[in-house]
Amino acid sequence: MAESIWGKLGLRRASGVDKAGWGRTLGVAVVAFIYFLPVLFIIFTAFKPQGDALLVPPTLSPTSLFGLIPDHFVFTPTLENFGSVFSRSMTPGGAPEATGFDRYFFNSIFIASVSVLLALAIGTLAAFGFSRYPLKGNDTYLFIILTTRMLPAIVVIIPVILMFRVVGLSGSYFGIIMLYTAFNLAFTIWMMKSFFDELSPDVEDAARIDGSSGIRVFFKIALPQVIAGLAATFVFGLILTWNEFLFALLLSGPDTRTVPVAMNQAVSSGGRGTDWTLLAAIETLFLIPVFLVTFFLQDHLLRGVTFGTVKR
Amino acid sequence: MTQASPGAGNGIALRLDRVSKTYGSVRAVHDLSFAVDEGRFFVLFGPSSVGKTTTLRTIAGLVPPDSGTVEIGGKDVTRAPIMGRGISMVFQSFALYPHLNVYDNFAYPLREEKTARGEIDKRVNETAEILKLTHRLRAKPATLSGGEQQRVALGRSLIRRPKILLLDEPLTNLDAKLRHETRAELKRLHRQFGMTVIYATPDELEALSMGEEIAVMRDGSIVQIGTPDELYERPVHAYVASKIGSPHMNLFKASVRADAKSFDTPLGTLVPAAPCKTANAGEAVLIGIRPSDIRLAAKGEAAVASKVHLLEPLGDITIVSVEAGGEMLRMVLPEATAASIRTGDSASIAIDSRKIHVFDAASGQAMT
Repeated sequence: MAESIWGKLGLRRASGVDKAGWGRTLGVAVVAFIYFLPVLFIIFTAFKPQGDALLVPPTLSPTSLFGLIPDHFVFTPTLENFGSVFSRSMTPGGAPEATGFDRYFFNSIFIASVSVLLALAIGTLAAFGFSRYPLKGNDTYLFIILTTRMLPAIVVIIPVILMFRVVGLSGSYFGIIMLYTAFNLAFTIWMMKSFFDELSPDVEDAARIDGSSGIRVFFKIALPQVIAGLAATFVFGLILTWNEFLFALLLSGPDTRTVPVAMNQAVSSGGRGTDWTLLAAIETLFLIPVFLVTFFLQDHLLRGVTFGTVKR
Repeated sequence: MTQASPGAGNGIALRLDRVSKTYGSVRAVHDLSFAVDEGRFFVLFGPSSVGKTTTLRTIAGLVPPDSGTVEIGGKDVTRAPIMGRGISMVFQSFALYPHLNVYDNFAYPLREEKTARGEIDKRVNETAEILKLTHRLRAKPATLSGGEQQRVALGRSLIRRPKILLLDEPLTNLDAKLRHETRAELKRLHRQFGMTVIYATPDELEALSMGEEIAVMRDGSIVQIGTPDELYERPVHAYVASKIGSPHMNLFKASVRADAKSFDTPLGTLVPAAPCKTANAGEAVLIGIRPSDIRLAAKGEAAVASKVHLLEPLGDITIVSVEAGGEMLRMVLPEATAASIRTGDSASIAIDSRKIHVFDAASGQAMT
């Protein structure tokens, strides 16, 4: 099948789904635009000269579109803000200094991906166990696992901080990764269990009869069937962890600071008021990794999200 | 084609001895015993949830029985692992590996046995040829038709050359035309490979047309084992009589007369060919008569008056339902004879009393 323009853009339609008419497509486009508008505004702001950020009425476009847009709505795009993310003068007129944001971006990527992958590895095994080898009181255990996410973070933060202080985990990669892994586990187990529940147990029995041991049934038969689920769980977990602020603020040290924490400190320090274009530039950069992951996994993601709702 | 004549094996391929299995409070299989000769096409026949699948899963080793023993080739394998039993199984749902293409589905059992790559390739191509799937080897199961999926499932089970092949309602998910073709195909494969087949089905036609030996199951136990002829001619239980034969045997209540040799029935007195030795005067019994053993009475013959209720023309025969003595009876008439009959007509019918079957009214057991 030749790939359409939409296919090339990665906007593939799920097969077997009725194509929407023009009216519906237009409706969806309008709603999508409304949802995307704030993001678009942030991205544009990141390219604006510093003074343009708070103009009223705002400048809206980097180009006049051949004279279509009046001049006072047009801003001159600049990359200056992105440079300032990594290096800028901290005092008026001072020499540019490194801000450490390269380190913070690395921290965010490292901590989020390791803890999500770790949770995925442990949680998938646990989910398979819960699904295939139910214990007495299986549902109770699952409920208990869910209760770990029932309290708002702010409620448990004090005991967690105290525990981390006592065992010396504050400010270490190990500590924050363990914490995020534990948080992601509950969600991973529940999500992956529902994917395993959807699989036909006959297929695994067939593999057993064909000579596979339990561990090979898991890796060669069950796991390949839930790739879409792994992708979906990975992305959801990544987004949650990527955006986490409170625990990162209180448990990370200067070396293990993540971007959300650093972002907060970058814009609120110095007593010069908020530098909105700098903030927008950090946010724009911050969006890119998660956007890329989601983009590359989107085929799996779509199947993962609609799993079980579409007749196979 | 190597011709292994069915049933020619000397040994017993499989023996179940007093096997029971309970799931929670549900008794799936109870005190099940049977033995199957090598190379035999053996059918487990009974309605759904009668314990057929549990029996097959016990033989395969997927579920351990609560009690009893399973022997394969003379060896007790009750607690043995699945591997090494020399068994393969086709599931009702086919259970193909959805993430693997047809080639890899076929190759899977061989790879698990660590077969050499060249040998795998040879066997896969051979199997694909036998099942006419050569052109589909690269296709994923989801893109195959029902019949193709079925053949892939069969091929995957046959590729290891199992000693025993378990088939769990393999035709249930196919449409009528495919079922007919696949029945013939299965018989051909059985002749070609000569393995022992245990075939579970709720379909009487499949059981009778394919089974060399049939075990009729009820509530997790076997009621009777026999060849299709034996089950038809000498059912040991009213249950078997009512399940085997199409249309089903007419069964009606009767009682033993004082002479202990004949029966008082709603259709008059009937005298069986051989007297029932176990019948006692006054005892309640069930009398069974095949629809083909009832005919229209000839002039001057002892006859029973009846009223025609329903005509079901089936081409060269017609099934006629009549009411006689308060009982609804079905009879099979040649189309030519039935042509003159209309619903609501009176008809004189004659029952061949030498052909009647007598069952104990309480237990359902045949009386001889």
